[in-house]
Amino acid sequence: MAVLLWRFAGAVALVALLGTAPAEAQAPIKIGASLSLTGTYGKIGTYQKEGYELCADDLNAKGGLLGRKVEVVVYDDQSMPATGVRLYEKLITEDKVDAVMGPYSSPITEAVANVTEKYQKVMVTPLAATTSIFKKGRKYVFMIISPAEVYLEGLIDMAAKRGLKTVAIVNEDTLFAKTAADGAAELAKKKGLQVVLKEAYPKGNTDFSAVLTKIKALNPDVVAGSTYFDDAVAIIRQMRELDVNPKMLGVTVGGDLPEFYDVLKKNAEFVYGATQWDESLPYPGAKEFAAAFKKKFKHGPSYHAAAGYAGCQTYAEGVRRAKTLDADKVRTELLGLKMRTAFGDYAVDQDGFQTAHKMVTLQWQDGKIHIVWPDELSNGKARFPTPPWNQR
Amino acid sequence: MKRWLIPALLALLAALALYPIGATGYGIRVMLQLFMWITLAQSWNLISGLTGYVSFGHVAFFGMGAYTTAILVAKSGWPWLPASLAGGVMAMVLAVVIGWPCLRLKGPYFAIAMLGLNEVLRVAVSYFEGLTGGGSGLSMPALDASVRIYYAMGLSALGVTALTWRIVTSRFGLRLMTIREDEVAAEAMGINTFRYKLYAFLLSAVGAGIVGGLAARDQGYIEPISVFPLVTTITMIVMVLFGGKGTIWGPVLGAVLLFTLQELIWARFPSAHPLLMGAIIVAVVLAMPRGILGVLQMRYNLPRTI
Amino acid sequence: MLGQVVISGLLAGALYAMVALGLGLIFGVMRVLNVAHGPLLMLGAYTTFWLFHFLGLSPYLSLLVSMPALFLVGAVLQRFLVRRVVDAPELSSLLLTFGISIAVVNLAQLAFTSDLRSVEYLTGSFRLGPFAFSKSRVIACAAAALITAAAFFFLKKTRVGKAIRAVSQSREVAQVCGIDVQRIHLIAFGIATALAAAGGTLVSVMIAIQPEMGQVYTFKSFLVIVLGGAGNYPGALLGGLLLGLIEQLSSLFLTTQVNEAVAYVLLVLVLLVRPTGLLGGRAS
Repeated sequence: MAVLLWRFAGAVALVALLGTAPAEAQAPIKIGASLSLTGTYGKIGTYQKEGYELCADDLNAKGGLLGRKVEVVVYDDQSMPATGVRLYEKLITEDKVDAVMGPYSSPITEAVANVTEKYQKVMVTPLAATTSIFKKGRKYVFMIISPAEVYLEGLIDMAAKRGLKTVAIVNEDTLFAKTAADGAAELAKKKGLQVVLKEAYPKGNTDFSAVLTKIKALNPDVVAGSTYFDDAVAIIRQMRELDVNPKMLGVTVGGDLPEFYDVLKKNAEFVYGATQWDESLPYPGAKEFAAAFKKKFKHGPSYHAAAGYAGCQTYAEGVRRAKTLDADKVRTELLGLKMRTAFGDYAVDQDGFQTAHKMVTLQWQDGKIHIVWPDELSNGKARFPTPPWNQR
Repeated sequence: MKRWLIPALLALLAALALYPIGATGYGIRVMLQLFMWITLAQSWNLISGLTGYVSFGHVAFFGMGAYTTAILVAKSGWPWLPASLAGGVMAMVLAVVIGWPCLRLKGPYFAIAMLGLNEVLRVAVSYFEGLTGGGSGLSMPALDASVRIYYAMGLSALGVTALTWRIVTSRFGLRLMTIREDEVAAEAMGINTFRYKLYAFLLSAVGAGIVGGLAARDQGYIEPISVFPLVTTITMIVMVLFGGKGTIWGPVLGAVLLFTLQELIWARFPSAHPLLMGAIIVAVVLAMPRGILGVLQMRYNLPRTI
Repeated sequence: MLGQVVISGLLAGALYAMVALGLGLIFGVMRVLNVAHGPLLMLGAYTTFWLFHFLGLSPYLSLLVSMPALFLVGAVLQRFLVRRVVDAPELSSLLLTFGISIAVVNLAQLAFTSDLRSVEYLTGSFRLGPFAFSKSRVIACAAAALITAAAFFFLKKTRVGKAIRAVSQSREVAQVCGIDVQRIHLIAFGIATALAAAGGTLVSVMIAIQPEMGQVYTFKSFLVIVLGGAGNYPGALLGGLLLGLIEQLSSLFLTTQVNEAVAYVLLVLVLLVRPTGLLGGRAS
């Protein structure tokens, strides 16, 4: 009688187990993030969101992750770090998401990383380019794009190879732009170029005539601008007005957007820009990714969308290899992972700092972007030197 | 009416004090923000509601407190509580520096001067970048102190409200309000308007400075744009106007109502947020100049000093 | 280099003067500080942009549209909103215009999005020996000077203009003299808005157009009023030129960053030393 009872209990337990286990395995994996959908970074944050969404679609089309569907939960942090911090707390403690992905921009990532580290959640941060974020002893953050310091590396390298001697650097006074400018100055010195001017301007500044007048008087061979979009446009326009003619003129963010040419038209010719990715690069699956993106979102992917996509894919790969969502196991996998995706190469050092991805330099030629540096990834030759304004 | 008021208040305070025990990390952060807003609204009320001098750059004190605290914590290893108090002190110093020249002027000129204050502080932060990190911002070592900061913010809110009550029911407060109503007459009566305005200004800066420091610590990372945003000043102003300027509970009421409204609306229509704020300001100024509390005061014959 | 900077400063100054004149009118006539002045300038800029974008209308011709259009907007604002706080304590009018300013900016953000717009009309510069002056800036200066001159002519010679000056000096006396003060308020506000719109139109060719572009002009206009003297209309002219000069010089000798701080310190200094402004106006 007792034996029967035990067998019965065992059977019930077995049925209960079987009954619940499959149901749990079907629950989707929720990946949470806060992105800048409104505010100063609104446009780009939206591109990043699209990258995340396409990644989730692709993962689900291939059977999901660990046999479960992937669901992306995105909140709007309004381009403000304080809001981002709150939202990640919400995602982790109230929505209880299974995993988190990074927000847009270095400042927001820096603030939010404190939260994810507190709860020991792995966070791949596709759009944070500032080295300092990853050098604070954090264990669970992983970088995808090349750091700010190398944005202008192509410009400086090409200048040095052509024997140019002097460079003037202007930058917006914010975290990313400053780091890029400092990095450019260091590189310039290493390659034997003299930095004749390095000046910062406040965010939102529209009048560059004074600093450009100074630059004109100094007549440097290269002018490097560590900028975002609005300022890049203003600087180029005003350079034309004041007839400032360096042999090479480069900007950072903004120079790679199609809007850049739309707004500046012919004045954008010969300008160098920096980008983390372009669909013409010889990475596996780059063209397919761009095509699928265009189909879903009706516009081409910017590098931010591509980075978002790659970040999510990288995380997924880490989970796949760890065969679990456990943070420490995934972390181990991500630290040791080396792969090449449609976005480029991935490999990190023990701080999660990106060491393999390559920044490329582009130049606007005849209304189109051509990748001109580094040589192994380029699809065109740089047009050098930039002719003076009155000869175009 | 008074009989159930005190026990009700005590019960509310007890509930708030016990809240962190069962709440989520997010919930604590939300309440902590609410306390911060109450403090900010009360601070703004002290100068603008009581004396009628519109402080458009009040967020400057918040930012000053934030930077002071961040610098002390990050560079000198101070613990956050003394650092936040130091933030309040520095905000007061700033108030003296600005107030000394500007409060001698009449209302409109003071407003103009305050309008630009924000920008100047941002420039100063960039200029002294060795100390402040400039545009890169300042990062503090990670600290999980949300609960303790929750209590600190709560105490700040309580403190500033108590201060307001003390002022409104005192001769000092009466003098401030006289200045608001008719400054020339106040001077004729022998009130040293400059001195009183300055005191009010100092007091209004302290609260903002302290919570600025606390907020900075809670966030762990600050940059100029995020601690000197215009939207903070706007929100402070709307909260006080909406609740009832020049009163004790008006700012609290305004802060709670608006914060709740913000949470509900902002989640759904983030892009129309400033428009709503602007519309509320216009509506309140035209139709409800004494705020909700003013309306209630008239309806239910509430005492003046509420 | 110095010469270039000085002339740049004067070019910019004329524009500041014109826009500030508008603000000064409102303050002088109604004792209202119009914090929404900058956003109104922004609307002028957008008007020009859309006309250029859809009809290919020259920005300089669009002045003929943006000025009257914004005159009407200003009149409406005055009639329905501002008028009700003219007699209220200054706090009210300040807050009201403040509320209007943020509402207008946000409306623009919703309607036009925050995307940068630009009017690519006139690029390049005039060369004069070693100096190069952006064509758009020179024309903006010329247009601003013309419009300002017209405004002064209006104020000095026409009946309405004289009535405006009368009300600026003393409302009660003007009323006793039979001037319809309400109507003058309306007209003055409308003219002020039209001047702001002109500023916006002229500036649209030079800088990026986006909803928040006007904020900085609000503060600068206040600064000019303080420099020149509140209620002193020619003072706005002097103040504007002075501000333009000082800005450019400080950018040259210091850095672009410190620019705004310089303007501010200047403001506080003037308020302390000579609150009635350089040419003398009302101190209160």
